[in-house]
Parts: sequence; structure tokens; C-alpha cells
Amino acid sequence: MASIIKVIGNVRRIISHNNGIIGSFLKMFRHDDLKWGTLVGEDKYGNKYYENNYYFFGKNRWVSYPQSSGFDFDASEIPPEWHRWMHYMTDDPPTKVPLPQRKWMADHTMNLTGTSREYVPYSTTRPKIQSWVPPKSSD
Amino acid sequence: MATLKIFCARSTLQRLTKQNLASISVLPQNRSHFKQVGQQPPSLEWKPIMDRAAGSVFWNELLKGLGICLGMILKEPANINYPFEKGPLSPRFRGEHALRRYPSGEERCIACKLCEAICPAQAITIEAETRADGSRRTTRYDIDMTKCIYCGFCQEACPVDAIVEGPNFEYSTETREELLYNKEKLLSNGDKWEPEIAANLQSDYLYR
Repeated sequence: MASIIKVIGNVRRIISHNNGIIGSFLKMFRHDDLKWGTLVGEDKYGNKYYENNYYFFGKNRWVSYPQSSGFDFDASEIPPEWHRWMHYMTDDPPTKVPLPQRKWMADHTMNLTGTSREYVPYSTTRPKIQSWVPPKSSD
Repeated sequence: MATLKIFCARSTLQRLTKQNLASISVLPQNRSHFKQVGQQPPSLEWKPIMDRAAGSVFWNELLKGLGICLGMILKEPANINYPFEKGPLSPRFRGEHALRRYPSGEERCIACKLCEAICPAQAITIEAETRADGSRRTTRYDIDMTKCIYCGFCQEACPVDAIVEGPNFEYSTETREELLYNKEKLLSNGDKWEPEIAANLQSDYLYR
């Protein structure tokens, strides 16, 4: 009986965490999973990070990709500061212990393969062999 | 049965040795208490026979199996919902390579070519030139990520901590050529991932 009360309480919390019944329904489409937890922080790209230690290790931290990415979210959208926390390398989120920033550090980009901005390899040196140019005949 | 035979043979042998070698004192072992550790043969009394027959008539075992199935459906799944939840990684994880910079923004690599020499897959190609200010720098630093075996020897060989294997593993590409990294790509990786690389090196500095 006690476990049934616990389950009902969890369902109530999940629904209130996911913005009501309609919100939970839409979330189920996107996440394939419904959970409740505390909002740990949000990065400048709009990813929201949640934590709830009620779930077991490996499931207790999760990310919600911004709504603007629709169903095109990618696992590589997480910036390095939060990547560290998401992969359980540290227990301190960057909101609590910010990592040092330098002015030459670049903004995070997701894996750009398959897009127009993908990386294309090129040589960073001058070519060492010149092609032979045939001499022009003087007539 | 075979063990029983061996035991019988032993007792007769012991008797023979006792008779023949009476002068040598042999401590006799009396084995009288046996325990059956294997599966018991099914009882052939009426009641157990009827119980077994009733179990097979009413699909006892099938229903028990379905009950276990139902229990597993209601249990919390032990899966990680990947793009939203991620598995634990070590701070020493060896993923995508990156070339680091000093806090001033100067690139660390001095083109000593130790990483190129130690690379067991020969995935690294370096060419060096003297820069305009007289310092020795690379003009070409190529890593063929399709050759790399992620052994981490390059980052261990590096005397200035320039080449590191960062924590990123989500760099799969659609074409093969995108995995032929040049110096610019490696430096931009370093610029992107430096906060995490520096923090991971800091957290493990006692063991390096």
C-alpha cells in the first residue's frame, strides 16, 4: 500500500514538473521518458540541466535541449563546462564552481558534420613540388 | 556410481596394505556418513506424483515465467536515455585530440616531434619552421583520426602538455575526410574544450 502511495506521489510530481498533463504528453514524445527533478542550471545555449538523486547513478542527471532545436537535438550540444558535470567527472556544476575563462577561448559548437559548416581538411603548408609549366613556343 | 566403486576399491586396497604391510602403521579411515549433493531423484509416492501432474496440467511453470515477465515490466529500467542522460567518464578519458594554448594565448606546441616518434599507428605528421619572431613552431600538425588507436602515448610524450586527448567522443562524421585533422582544427578543438581539459588535468595532477 505504501508503495502505491509513493507511485501516485511520483506521478503527481512528474506531471507538475512537466507543465501539466499536456506538457507531460509532449515531453514524452521528445524524451521517451518522464522524470522530475531540480533545475541545477541553464547554459547560454539554452540547455537546461536537472538532477534528482532519487534515480540511480547514470540516470540522476539529465539535460533538456532547447525547444528551438525541435527534434533535431544532438548529444554534442552540451558545452564543455556542463559536459564535465553531465559525465559525472565532478559533482560541482559550473554554477557553483565556475571554470576559468580566457579571452581566446572559442564558443562551443555542436558536431557540424553533414551541415554546410562542416570541417574540410586542407594543407597548412606551402606545396613542396611545383608542377612543370611547359615553355611557350615563340611563333 | 563411479565414486562408490572408487571408494570400494580403496577400502579393499587398504585391507590388502594392512595385511601385507602390517609393520608400517597406516591410519585407517572409516567412512560411514555420506551426503548426496546432486539432484534428488523424483519421489515415486502417490502424493508427489499427483502434485507434479497437476503442475503440468495447469501450466504452473508457464504462469510463473509470465509472472516474472510482468514483474520486470513494472521494474525501473536499467537503461540510460542517451542524448538526455549520459554515462560516467573518467577525467583521464582519451577522446578527441586537441592542441592547447598557454593562458596568454600562445600555442604550446614547440614541434619537438616526440608524439610523432612515439605514435604506434604513425597517425601524426609534423612539419616545423622558424616563425618570424624566431620561435620554433609547427607549420603542419596533422592527425589521421582514422589511424589513431587512442592509446594516449602522444599526450604522455608531450613535454609541454600541448597535445592532449580531450573528453569529447561525439565527433563522428559522415565522410572519411572530415577525420583527417589539421593544425587549425586541432587548435580550434583546444580553444573550445580548454575549460574542461584544464579542469580534468587539475583534478588528476597528483597522479601524473
